[in-house]
Amino acid sequence: MLGFDDEEVCARVSRDPDPSTPSIAASPDHHHEPALEFRNVFKTYGSIAALNDLSLNVERGTIHGFLGPNGAGKTTAIRILMGFLKASNGTTRLLGLDAWRDGVAARSNVGYLVTADALYPDMSGNDQLAFAADISGRESVLRKRALDALELGPDALGRRLGTYSKGMRQKLAITAALQHDPELLVLDEPSDGLDPLVQQHLEELLRERQQAGRTVFMSSHDLAEVERTCQQVAVIRNGGLVASGTTKELSRQYQRTAIIRFRDSIPDGIDQLGTVVSVDRERKVIEVRIGDDVNPLIRQIAKEDIASLAIREPQLQDVFFSYYGEADNASRPETSPPGADSK
Amino acid sequence: MTMLRISARLLRRGLGGTLMLLLGITLFELINPVIGTSIGGSDAVQGLFDQLPPGMRAITQVQPDFFIQSGFAGFVALGYTHPVYFVLVSSAVVGFGSRTLAGEVESGILALTLSRPVSRRAIYLARVLDLGLLALALAAAGALGTWVGILIADAPSDLSARAYIMLIGASWLLAWSIGGLVLGASAAASTTGRVVGWATGVLVILYFIDYFAELWSPLEPFGPLSIFRYFDPVAALVDNRIPLVNLIVLAGVGIVGVVAGLLVFERRDLAI
Repeated sequence: MLGFDDEEVCARVSRDPDPSTPSIAASPDHHHEPALEFRNVFKTYGSIAALNDLSLNVERGTIHGFLGPNGAGKTTAIRILMGFLKASNGTTRLLGLDAWRDGVAARSNVGYLVTADALYPDMSGNDQLAFAADISGRESVLRKRALDALELGPDALGRRLGTYSKGMRQKLAITAALQHDPELLVLDEPSDGLDPLVQQHLEELLRERQQAGRTVFMSSHDLAEVERTCQQVAVIRNGGLVASGTTKELSRQYQRTAIIRFRDSIPDGIDQLGTVVSVDRERKVIEVRIGDDVNPLIRQIAKEDIASLAIREPQLQDVFFSYYGEADNASRPETSPPGADSK
Repeated sequence: MTMLRISARLLRRGLGGTLMLLLGITLFELINPVIGTSIGGSDAVQGLFDQLPPGMRAITQVQPDFFIQSGFAGFVALGYTHPVYFVLVSSAVVGFGSRTLAGEVESGILALTLSRPVSRRAIYLARVLDLGLLALALAAAGALGTWVGILIADAPSDLSARAYIMLIGASWLLAWSIGGLVLGASAAASTTGRVVGWATGVLVILYFIDYFAELWSPLEPFGPLSIFRYFDPVAALVDNRIPLVNLIVLAGVGIVGVVAGLLVFERRDLAI
């Protein structure tokens, strides 16, 4: 997993783009603007609000995760961004240009990952990539690098897509999205259907593009992938932004969790240590949220007979599930949003 | 250039089915002059026709002495007002129209081009270009069949080059007008099934309005509402002309359908 220190390294590198890579911004005039921006965006279908005052900025040169439960509005937001849907209200900008009005110019520097089923089944992989490159009007400078990373060989590329597995189609769709080295990559569930090894290669490829100054905006349900890959994360729910920041910032909203297993029984007064997350008297295990300083806990339990003690650092999934919770209580873990008392 | 690339890609999709329909049209129109010649030409056909009961003659909608007056060209023209010809042409056009746009929204394939620096207008106009080419191929396939059929049958009279050109023009206009309506519907729809259902229903209604308006007086005022009323292969093959009103109506219907489709497609939400 990418640690916080590594993220900071990535962030520093991102501000120093690869000088050997030509500048491909949509327009020099817009280079200082965010890679993408939603400003008070609404999208309604009759009485249903798919997006409800969504505001979000994605700075250039970052890998930005876009999270939310099913039906939160992620796909609607991405479709508005790509000009497939028109926002009912608000402004959406792509590389400094209006996503609806100036979408054609903006998309010349965008790579969008289409769903694996949205490829021409009668074409070979090679023809598919050539067609995508043709209509992009740009050289496929990254095709070989992407194909190597995703392990899609010449034999497969010569075959019709009708013979491809889902994973192979996903690899081809990813290659088609980034082969022309776009300024901004918009990826909806990029690792869907990929095996863990190829998924790791994809993450390396994305980090490589980010280090070259490109921006990646990706939605994913794989929180571990987002935590490994993204520096910035936005969480959307009910069509609006509910959390945004670096993975470190979001995770800091949560305290660490101490998981203590006692040999005899859980002593009285242990709940004074912090917010108790769970108590399992049968297994003699208690989970307690603690602050930055672990010493009060250690001192308190030193007189007890402890079988084991583990300190779990806060994770992105804690943040995600706290917002996910109300949408899907069944999948809510034993964690709570900051300040909640689960006693 | 991008539009041409998209256009070429579209034409390759469903090419097998389109080629089979083109072959069907060619064969159907090829058989027609062969049959006419084997019977003994237009005089013999007129003789056979005169022996039909009056009710049957009314159903065929062929005027008395039609074959005497129009000759062999008139008999050949009947191959273009036959329901089989309409079904073959309509199938090709409806198949193309529903497969494109609505079909591409349904499968999501449209995202592949729309996520690139390509405007909706260019995407749409590529479909219009393909529709024009498809209509031309359908018209030429019929004319080719007629030409080959006349050669094979050693028919008593040949058709002039102008007659073939007029035939292709009239057939193109019919396919264009149907295609314009279908493309307009496809631009507004999100599933292939909806376009096929809508187009089939409308075409069947228009066909029967045209057919029964001749036979049943209450429907007579509605006859001009059918596009099939303005498709006149007899005028093309016998008189070597396309009546101006036919040209205006068929071309106009196609243009209205295409423009309406463009206006809708440029503004609508695409759930891809």
